[in-house]
Amino acid sequence: MSSGFFIHPSIFFFAGMAVLPFLKGIQRNVFLVILPLIALATVVNIDPGQYASLKITTLELIMGRADKMSLMFAHVFTLMALLGTIYGMHLKDNWQIIAAWGYVGSALGCVFAGDYLTLFLFWEGLMVTSVCLVFLRKNRASLRAGYRYFLVHTAGGLALLAGIFLLYYHTGSLAFGPFEPNNASWAVYLIMAGFLLNAAVPPLHAWLPDAYGSATVVGSVFMCAYTTKTAVYALARAFPGFEILIVLGVIMALYGVVYAVLENDARRLLSYHIISQVGYMVTGVGIGTAMSLSGTCAHAYAHILYKALLFMGVGAVLEVTGKSKFSELGGLWRYMPYSLVFTLIGGLSISAFPGFSGFVSKSMVIAGAWQSHLIWAALGLTLASAGTFLHTGLKVPYFIWFWKERPPFDPPKKEAPLNMQIAMGLTAFFCIFIGVRPQALYSMLPFNVEYHPYTLYHVMESWQILLFTMLGFFLLIKKLTPEPLIGLDVDWFYRKGGGLFLKFCKGVLAKVENGLIMNIHQTFFLPLMKIIASFCSWNDQKVVDGIVDGTASSTLTLSSRLANALQSGLLYRYLAAMLTVLAAIIGATLWLTQWIK
Amino acid sequence: MIIVKLIEWARKNMFFVKALSYTILVLLVVTDLFVPREHPHFIGDFIPGFWAVFGFTSCAMIIVVSKWLGKKFLFRPENYYEDENSEETNGYV
Repeated sequence: MSSGFFIHPSIFFFAGMAVLPFLKGIQRNVFLVILPLIALATVVNIDPGQYASLKITTLELIMGRADKMSLMFAHVFTLMALLGTIYGMHLKDNWQIIAAWGYVGSALGCVFAGDYLTLFLFWEGLMVTSVCLVFLRKNRASLRAGYRYFLVHTAGGLALLAGIFLLYYHTGSLAFGPFEPNNASWAVYLIMAGFLLNAAVPPLHAWLPDAYGSATVVGSVFMCAYTTKTAVYALARAFPGFEILIVLGVIMALYGVVYAVLENDARRLLSYHIISQVGYMVTGVGIGTAMSLSGTCAHAYAHILYKALLFMGVGAVLEVTGKSKFSELGGLWRYMPYSLVFTLIGGLSISAFPGFSGFVSKSMVIAGAWQSHLIWAALGLTLASAGTFLHTGLKVPYFIWFWKERPPFDPPKKEAPLNMQIAMGLTAFFCIFIGVRPQALYSMLPFNVEYHPYTLYHVMESWQILLFTMLGFFLLIKKLTPEPLIGLDVDWFYRKGGGLFLKFCKGVLAKVENGLIMNIHQTFFLPLMKIIASFCSWNDQKVVDGIVDGTASSTLTLSSRLANALQSGLLYRYLAAMLTVLAAIIGATLWLTQWIK
Repeated sequence: MIIVKLIEWARKNMFFVKALSYTILVLLVVTDLFVPREHPHFIGDFIPGFWAVFGFTSCAMIIVVSKWLGKKFLFRPENYYEDENSEETNGYV
C-alpha cells in the first residue's frame, strides 16, 4: 500500500446513482455537472501507487492500482462522463443517467483493478449497466438487441472467468499483469478471448453495431466510449507483444471499413467505424513496442472524444427528426447547421486531418508499425484510414445534411436542445485542442517516447491521402447512394441460426423420433421389456417371498430395541454418542485431506 | 447564420468550388516533388505523388469491393430478421 492521495473515482458515480432520483430542477442539473467534475478533479490529483488492497486468505484483491496508464484512461473516462452527462441533461427520466453512471463507475473499476477477480467483477458491472442503456430505448427492436447483447457478453464473461480460474489453478496468482507471449497456456487464451469479445474483434464483433444502433440516443454516446476502450486497456495491460493481435487488428480495421460501405443506418455505420478504429489500437498492442503502445493509449484517448462527438451529432439528428437512416434523411444543412459543423469536426478528427486529434494519435500507431518494419500492417492501416475519411468524414455528413435540396419529411423547426449543443461544442473543442497541442496528450502517456506528428512530409502525405480519397468519393458517389438494405454479418449465426435449429428439431429430429425410434421401440424393446417384467414377477413371488418370509416381524423387533438404546434419556450416553460421531468426522476429514494431497 | 450562408453561396457557385478543388489537388502533387524525405520507410516514400495515388485507389477499391461483396452475398431487405413468429410474442412493449 502506498501513501498518497487516492479516492476511487467510481465511488462518486455509484453514490451519484443513489442521490440523483431525489433531486429536481436546477439542483439536479447542477449536480449532473458537479459530480463528474469532482471525479475528474480526483483523477487528476491521484498520486501513482497501489491502494485499496484487500487480503482474503491467499488472495490479494487490489481495487486501486494507479499508474500512468490507468490514470490516462481514467482521465478520459471521467472527462467523457462529464460530456456525456451534459449531453443527456435534457432527459426527463433519470434512468438513462443512472445506468450511464453505473457504467462509467464500472469502467473506472476495471481501469484501477490490480487483479483479475476485481477486473471480472467490474467487467460484469459494465455489461449489466450498459444493457440497460439499450433496453431504455423501449421498443421491440431494442429489447431484442439488448437480449442478444446480454447473452453474447455473458458468454464472453464466462470465457474470461474460466480463464481466470484456470490461471489461478496453474499459477496461484491473480495479478493483472502482462503475459509472456512465448509460452501462453489455455488459460491465457481464454482470458484473451474474453477481452477480444469486448474489444469487438471479428468474428466476435457483431454485438456492437447491433446494440449501439438500437440503444437510446444518450446511451450510445456513452456506450461508444467505454466497453471497447476498457477492453483495449485490458489488452494493453495483459497482452503486449502477442503477434496474433497485429493480424487481428489490421483485419479489424479493414473489416469495419468494408461493412461501413454497406450500412444504411448512420449509427450502425459509426459502430462499424469503432471496430475499425479499435483495430488500430489492437494492432498497437500486438506490436508491443513503447511507441506502438503509446500510440494505442493516445489513440484510445482521442478516439473516445471524437467518436462520442460523432454519435452526439448523429444522435442530435435522431432526437430531432426521429430518423437515422441515410435513405430517409438529407437536406438538413439549412435546419441543423450547428450539428453539421460539430459532426464535421468529429469526422475530420477521426479521419486524421492535420490539426485534429486523430492526426496526432493514429499516426503514432502507424509510426509504430513502420518502426517495427511491418510494411503490410502500416499500409493496411493507411488504407483503412482512407476508408475512415470516406465514410465518417464524407458519407455521414453528405447523406444527412446535403444530398437532397430539402429533407424528405417535414423539416425540423429547431436545432437540437441547447445542452446537446453545449456538449458537442465542448467535445469539439477537445478534439481540436488535442490536434493543435499534442503535447498535452503526450504528457499523459505511460511511456517516454519522442514523437513529432507535424513534420512537413507527414502533413503532405496526409493531405494527399485525404484529398484524393475525397476525389474518389465524389467521382464514385453514384455507387454510394443509400439503399434501404442491411448487410449480413456474423450475428446471422445466432439470429437466424436459432430459428434454423428449431426447424431442424421440428423437421428432422421429430421425424427421426416418430418414425424410427418409436418403431424400434414398439417392435423390439416393448416385447423384450414384457418378457423381463414377467420373469421379475415370477422371481418375486416364488424366490424372494420364500426366503424373506418373516422379515417384517424381525425388523419391527430390531427397531424397537434400537429406539430403546438410542433414546435412553441418559445424558452420558448422548454425550458419548456425539463425541464418537465427531471423532469419526474429524478422522474421515484428516484421512480425506491426506488422500487428496 | 454564417454557416448556412456559406453553404448557400458554395452551392450557387459550384463551378468555382470545383475548379478550386481541382487546383488544390494538382498543387498538392506538384509541391510533393520538393518535399524532403526525412525518414523514408519503403519505396513508396520516394515516389512523388505516391500517397495521392494510394488514397484514390484505396477509396475506389473500398467502394467497389464492398459493393460487390454486398450485391453478391450480403445485402438483404431491411425486414430480413423480422421472423414470421414475431406475432406470437406480442404483449411485450
